[in-house]
Amino acid sequence: MLELTVPNSVSFHTANAFFSQNPFFEEAGGLARVTLHPRWMHIEPFGMAMLAAWGAWCRRHGVRVEVENLGPKADYAWRMHLFQFLGVEYQPQRVEREEAGRFLPVTQVRNGADIRAVIGDISALLHLQHNPESLAAVQYCVSELLRNVIEHSNSSDGAFICAHNYDRADPARVTIAVADCGVGIRAHLGRAYPEAQVNDWNAVTMAMRPGITGAIPGMYGTPDNAGAGLFITRSIAKGSGGYFLVASGEACYRLRRAKGPEAQTELPLDPTFDRHDKWVFPHPWQGTVVSMEIRTDQIDDFDSYFAWIRKFVPAREEVTRRIRFT
Amino acid sequence: MKQTVRLPGGESRFQEDKELARDIRQREILPALARGDSVVLDFTDVEYATQSFVHALIGEVLKRYGIEILDRIEFRRCSKQLQNIISLVVNYSLGGFVEGIDEEVIRDSRLSASA
Repeated sequence: MLELTVPNSVSFHTANAFFSQNPFFEEAGGLARVTLHPRWMHIEPFGMAMLAAWGAWCRRHGVRVEVENLGPKADYAWRMHLFQFLGVEYQPQRVEREEAGRFLPVTQVRNGADIRAVIGDISALLHLQHNPESLAAVQYCVSELLRNVIEHSNSSDGAFICAHNYDRADPARVTIAVADCGVGIRAHLGRAYPEAQVNDWNAVTMAMRPGITGAIPGMYGTPDNAGAGLFITRSIAKGSGGYFLVASGEACYRLRRAKGPEAQTELPLDPTFDRHDKWVFPHPWQGTVVSMEIRTDQIDDFDSYFAWIRKFVPAREEVTRRIRFT
Repeated sequence: MKQTVRLPGGESRFQEDKELARDIRQREILPALARGDSVVLDFTDVEYATQSFVHALIGEVLKRYGIEILDRIEFRRCSKQLQNIISLVVNYSLGGFVEGIDEEVIRDSRLSASA
């Protein structure tokens, strides 16, 4: 039997432990047991999205999931729709008013129409109606992260997204996570880049550089892909002072907050030039997980992020002069 | 001749629908340009768009025709964000991102992020 443990906290700060201690895809023998912490449970969106994606994977592979310690603290996970993806029955002990939440519960996304539905709902669900700059940043990142999965992961179950607006926390932030159990970044990029085939760390860090896409037949993209999605979402996280995490296979990159305001406004194309953590796990994640924070207290001018990112593209005077905005 | 394409923005005025962009590119933009017409891309109903959307809309056009085609494309009523995105896509489509990028670090003091 496969045994997973969900510690009392699954957050950006404890991500390494959560990945390392759980052999998500080992031979299960038809049964998997998830043990929740008996007294306390804080699971950020990436934990929810991962568990939901894994739950769908289990169901597709005929693995039945049991959950231990379904106490009152499990109500939050129920509200986030986690148990429906694990195939576990649960009756909440307390039902809160829907408007009390500021979250997007775990949602399965299989195609463009599903993405548009998530984008349409997210303003109200995260209570961002009166914060248009943050809303635009969140919609932007949600779209790019989900489209990466739909277009590149070859995931049978699509993508699983979860988000939470921690608007009363310090720092105030929206956390977004998208997880899949698809082919993973290494297999995807490896078709076009031999160096990505070497190991998962190479592939993960390459994926965050602009102009890198497994769909690429030549430089700077196909008609439908430029390979800039993860680069721009990383930039938005960095620019607002948030974390950014990409895990695929046995490798995980976590962007940390910089040591000082000036360093926070620096944007290297190579993500390893940023303050980061490099983790290599004993049990690979079969697919990809991306999670990011957008510091809503720092997004007062979303437009400026693109002016910042544009500096990576050499300004060609003739080109700039000939673009006609009327 | 000038063909105007008014891009839908929906209720949120946020546009990310790459399938739509591909459809507009294939059904309207490329045929119009192939006829020798000019194209007006009217963003009146769109305030924000993703880079992926704009790339799907015009990336192939720029690769196929090169810089000269900019004389036959007009971007109408673009927000500041859209202008930045369009400039980004046009520039990298015609020339790529920074070369020798390992040494490149871009700073922008306008961002107010705190550590």
